[in-house]
Amino acid sequence: MSSHLDLRDVSVSFNGFKALNSLNMSVCKGELRCLIGPNGAGKTTALDIICGKVKPSAGIVSFDGTALQDLEEYEIARAGVGRKFQVPSVFRELSVSDNLEVARARRTSVFGNLRWSIGNAGRDDIERLAELVGLTEQLDRPAAYLSHGQTQWLEIGMLVAQDAELILMDEPTAGMTAQETRKTAELFARLKGKHTLIVVEHDMGFVKAIGDIISVMHMGQMLAEGTAAEVEAHPEVRRAYLGSGGISHA
Amino acid sequence: MPSNISNSSGLQRLIAQLAPLLIVSALVFALPVLLNNDFLLNKVARYLVLGILTISLGLSWGFGGILNLGQAMSFGLGSYAMAMALKLKTVPVHTGASGLPDFMVWNNVQHLPWFWEPFRSLSFAIAAGLLVPALVAAGLGWFMFRGRVTGVYVSIITLATMVVINLVIIDQQSYTGGFNGITDLAQLELFGVAFDAYGRATYYLVAGCVLLSLLIAFAFTKSRAGLIVQAIRDHESRVRYFGYDVALYQIFVFALSAAIAGLAGMLYTVVMEFASPTFLGVQLSLSVVVWCAVGGRQSLVGAFLGAVLVAGMQGALSESAAFLETWTLVMGALFVLVVLFLPKGLAGLAQATCRWVAQRRQAASGAVGRGVSQTEGST
Repeated sequence: MSSHLDLRDVSVSFNGFKALNSLNMSVCKGELRCLIGPNGAGKTTALDIICGKVKPSAGIVSFDGTALQDLEEYEIARAGVGRKFQVPSVFRELSVSDNLEVARARRTSVFGNLRWSIGNAGRDDIERLAELVGLTEQLDRPAAYLSHGQTQWLEIGMLVAQDAELILMDEPTAGMTAQETRKTAELFARLKGKHTLIVVEHDMGFVKAIGDIISVMHMGQMLAEGTAAEVEAHPEVRRAYLGSGGISHA
Repeated sequence: MPSNISNSSGLQRLIAQLAPLLIVSALVFALPVLLNNDFLLNKVARYLVLGILTISLGLSWGFGGILNLGQAMSFGLGSYAMAMALKLKTVPVHTGASGLPDFMVWNNVQHLPWFWEPFRSLSFAIAAGLLVPALVAAGLGWFMFRGRVTGVYVSIITLATMVVINLVIIDQQSYTGGFNGITDLAQLELFGVAFDAYGRATYYLVAGCVLLSLLIAFAFTKSRAGLIVQAIRDHESRVRYFGYDVALYQIFVFALSAAIAGLAGMLYTVVMEFASPTFLGVQLSLSVVVWCAVGGRQSLVGAFLGAVLVAGMQGALSESAAFLETWTLVMGALFVLVVLFLPKGLAGLAQATCRWVAQRRQAASGAVGRGVSQTEGST
């Protein structure tokens, strides 16, 4: 497998604080990469850099041979990068089906979208997506009425609808029950291979259930990379997490 | 098969959403049958035009989340475009051989200014009445939305821009008629029909434009682009990360809204028989916001009815001896009450009532069903 996404010596600072300090990371096509690390390690910032929310002060982000760091957010999205935010971000006043319809961004130009959205073949697609994330009953309800876990799933469903090659997930299981988390793990296992995923997570049970390779970040740098067992045995990782009883309680 | 079912239910929903629009339009068209008074009909036509203006604000504010406090700017530009053409139609009847509009003669202007020349053509004037507001809005939108200006700053910029244009019009008296505006106009003539401000033809022209504006705005809100604009209102950055160029969508809805306001402005000149700087004044512009909020900014028909009802009430109050001094106070109180208790306006109230009735009906039938099962359980 060739390298799909590459971060080379990426640095960012916020008011002098180096959130990322020469971060290097590469992810292969179809891989599901978990990104862990203590609070403030720069995990979310790393995702922000890839999707264009934050511009790096130095370094290169290349995706499929395209340099992303100079593109606008919408151009990065069009290049095939999707992003789920830590705080569930959906369109609260729109119905669940309209949320999914907006996410199905096959056509993105204004004039290309001056066509009626009802009665199209996309309805089947939306029903299939709703079934995938368990929101069939809620299709016609405004997203504002969903529970926290359902809102998380709606946003995950929207990412699937967007059908991006690379999907960035920031704490997708936050606020979910154990059962909901297990269902999410099953869903991610299905997305793996067809999409490339980078998942930031705190729940180690979830990480072990879904991840092939785990990247551990610390103080804006890559500390270690490997399988769950390798990472747990890594002396520097143990030191970074010292006092919290190993990474399983991070 | 399931897609067929959902399609037909989608069609039903569409018809249900179109129904209020068509009913209101039908009432507007039917009114002259009941109201046999040309003076009153002209007054109603005026309120209908203000209704079109409010529809345009509802489109950008209620659906796009862009609170344009300078909506009357587009209205005024449309109004002047029409007034310039109708003024030139009076030449040389009112001015003699010099071939200039009367106020230019009084201001010692020797030649018709270049930007007045094309308004000799009525088609040009009508195109300008739509396109000039749209292009000005698009230009302004380009700077604001490319720069990711949002919320209250958009409101301040639009309001300030309108005031600037208003001052320029007042200042350039020799070209614009200044404070007096452009008065003493010819009648609009389209396809051989003369539109006398107090005639039925004008009323039906306005009514037709009400229907047209409602349909265009409705079609846009039901299009995919309209859906994306509403998504931008709810969560701008989320839309951006799906690959949409958010600024372009905002510019589009802003310009479309301005074009509809320009149409309303042109009609206003026809109905009022003059154009005035007050048409792009702060008072009118802020009134539109009140009408839109009272009617319900997320409902096109609601915004339209809000304008017609409240502007009608304003008219009635300001003419009655009892409220001559206090009518602005009454309007202010109404606005405060609506904002506090009816955040979705009259349209929201109507929707909530419909839902309540439906729930009551459902609950009643449900209670009957439960009653049966309970008696079955006890036996």
